Amino acid sequence: MKNESINLEVGKCAATTYTVPVGPVHPALKEPIRFNFDLDGERIVGVDIKPGFAHRGIEYMGMKRNLVQALYLSERICGICSISHPLAFTQAVENAAGIEVPPRAQYIRTIIGELERVHSHLLWAGVGAHELGFDTLLHLTWNVREKSMDLLEELTGNRVDYAIPMFSGVRRDIPEEKAHLAYEALEYYKGLLQSMIDAFLHDKSVEMRTRNVGVLTYEQAVELCAVGPTTRASGVKKDVRQDMPYLAYADMDIKAITPEDFGTETIGDVYDMIIVRLLEVAQSIEIIEFCLENLPSGELMSIPKVPALLAALKKASGEGIGRHEAPRGEVIHYVRLEEGIEEPAAWKVKAPTYSNLMAWVPMFMGDEIADVPIIAASIDPCMCCMDRVHFADASGTQSERTKEELIRLSREKTRRMCG
Amino acid sequence: MNAQQVLTSMKEKLGSACSDDRVIERMVGVLDPKPVYDAWLTIEPAAFHDAVAFLCEAYDPHISVISGEDIGDSVALNYHFTVGWGERFGEITLSLRTVLPKSELKIPTITDVLPGAQTAEREKIEFYGIEVVGIPDDRNIFLPEDATIHPWRKDLEEETQKEVVRRVKWEARNEE
Repeated sequence: MKNESINLEVGKCAATTYTVPVGPVHPALKEPIRFNFDLDGERIVGVDIKPGFAHRGIEYMGMKRNLVQALYLSERICGICSISHPLAFTQAVENAAGIEVPPRAQYIRTIIGELERVHSHLLWAGVGAHELGFDTLLHLTWNVREKSMDLLEELTGNRVDYAIPMFSGVRRDIPEEKAHLAYEALEYYKGLLQSMIDAFLHDKSVEMRTRNVGVLTYEQAVELCAVGPTTRASGVKKDVRQDMPYLAYADMDIKAITPEDFGTETIGDVYDMIIVRLLEVAQSIEIIEFCLENLPSGELMSIPKVPALLAALKKASGEGIGRHEAPRGEVIHYVRLEEGIEEPAAWKVKAPTYSNLMAWVPMFMGDEIADVPIIAASIDPCMCCMDRVHFADASGTQSERTKEELIRLSREKTRRMCG
Repeated sequence: MNAQQVLTSMKEKLGSACSDDRVIERMVGVLDPKPVYDAWLTIEPAAFHDAVAFLCEAYDPHISVISGEDIGDSVALNYHFTVGWGERFGEITLSLRTVLPKSELKIPTITDVLPGAQTAEREKIEFYGIEVVGIPDDRNIFLPEDATIHPWRKDLEEETQKEVVRRVKWEARNEE
């Protein structure tokens, strides 16, 4: 729709801005979201973000179920971070109820959590390449990603929703005969990492499309309380695994990765986000290797029988916070337990995109409509919001642009820039 | 800076407006266990904005989320901050709790001192029917734009159920 307000500042002539809604339907990935862009020509001069299309009331449902049932529900909050939420939730409940977790279980939780980071970052990198029109790289990256999915399936039985954490421990062991599969996968990734870095970071067209695009400055990242690779790409050294360690992370010297670890100046653009994510894959491989080599022996759960566990939880009262650095940033769960009831008296879940929502606004400002797919994808792989775009001109006629057309615009820009 | 120092400075600043201060120590790690700290403090609603303004000035906090709970005659809010990021074992969690009676569900915004709190505040407006005074944008964020229900209020559960049923029926009709 044509906006009533007339912008007299641009070139001192009357320029009109148009509002272009993008989304909300996501056909492929998990999060539908709507952006309303104010455009001055091709430039984005304003954006309004409306999430919530996939709000399923999970916390409400969880408060009507017993804690073990709520744990299974928490695993289904997100299809990609399907261990991040259970990790934060189990820690919150264990902190509230004062339940100990055996050392071996802490290490196994860490290994699965880091494997999730490997597959999630590679998934994102492939999606990013696709948005730029570099589908060869998409297929290469997703082929490389399969190795971590296969390993997760071997270790847990599932490609997603691994059902590993349980209050007081983990449900499955990593036996000797499976550990060699993990070592094999780690060697595979170590051999490939440099070529992934070359393919993404030393490619001229990737650099042209992502350098100085979607910039989030250090000050904006801190002020807007952004989390995860989104904030670290802006030079903010914030990582729960470093700042307030938990599980096996407390035994390792982990540091938050920022673009300066790659030896480049920190700009806070999409290119820096690629740097951070690829280096974090390397970091995760080191962490998994450390955990496998130092895997303590011993039991898997301090309260192995579920009826005894439920009884212990029913007796517990208190409140607790559980935090985990998920692939996209900090996940935090708050739980309050009341003696005599099986359900959590209060449960609040915060996922990383919740914190990064506001960081999108400065990232979009001043960039072009053809950059929308890669900027939207840069924070989290939810560029499927590109499903359709409505353009409306002043006469009131409307035209609809599909996700495919928008990606075509993005690809044409790549070709133009490559000459 | 440690958790006890943060709480002590806040108590000095707020005086009788705060109560129930606790620091919970937890040991983490297997090879060489080290402590991490969760701090909790309850603050009167009238002094809440001053408390957060002081926290922002003195410790540069990050806000993770605001959790809430309907506890009968009032709604309790927990503002979960973290303080001291950037160095190993340097961070603590600080949860500031405030209890708003249902007869006056009003709290000043903290977005003027910490803009990143806006999403969490907007969520509390729609889900609990709290008025956040001075927030730049008070539209629904996760609920449909035209929804006027407050799903996390236990006393309004009947309205919520009616509205959900109405919307599901409406969607089913449109699909036919």
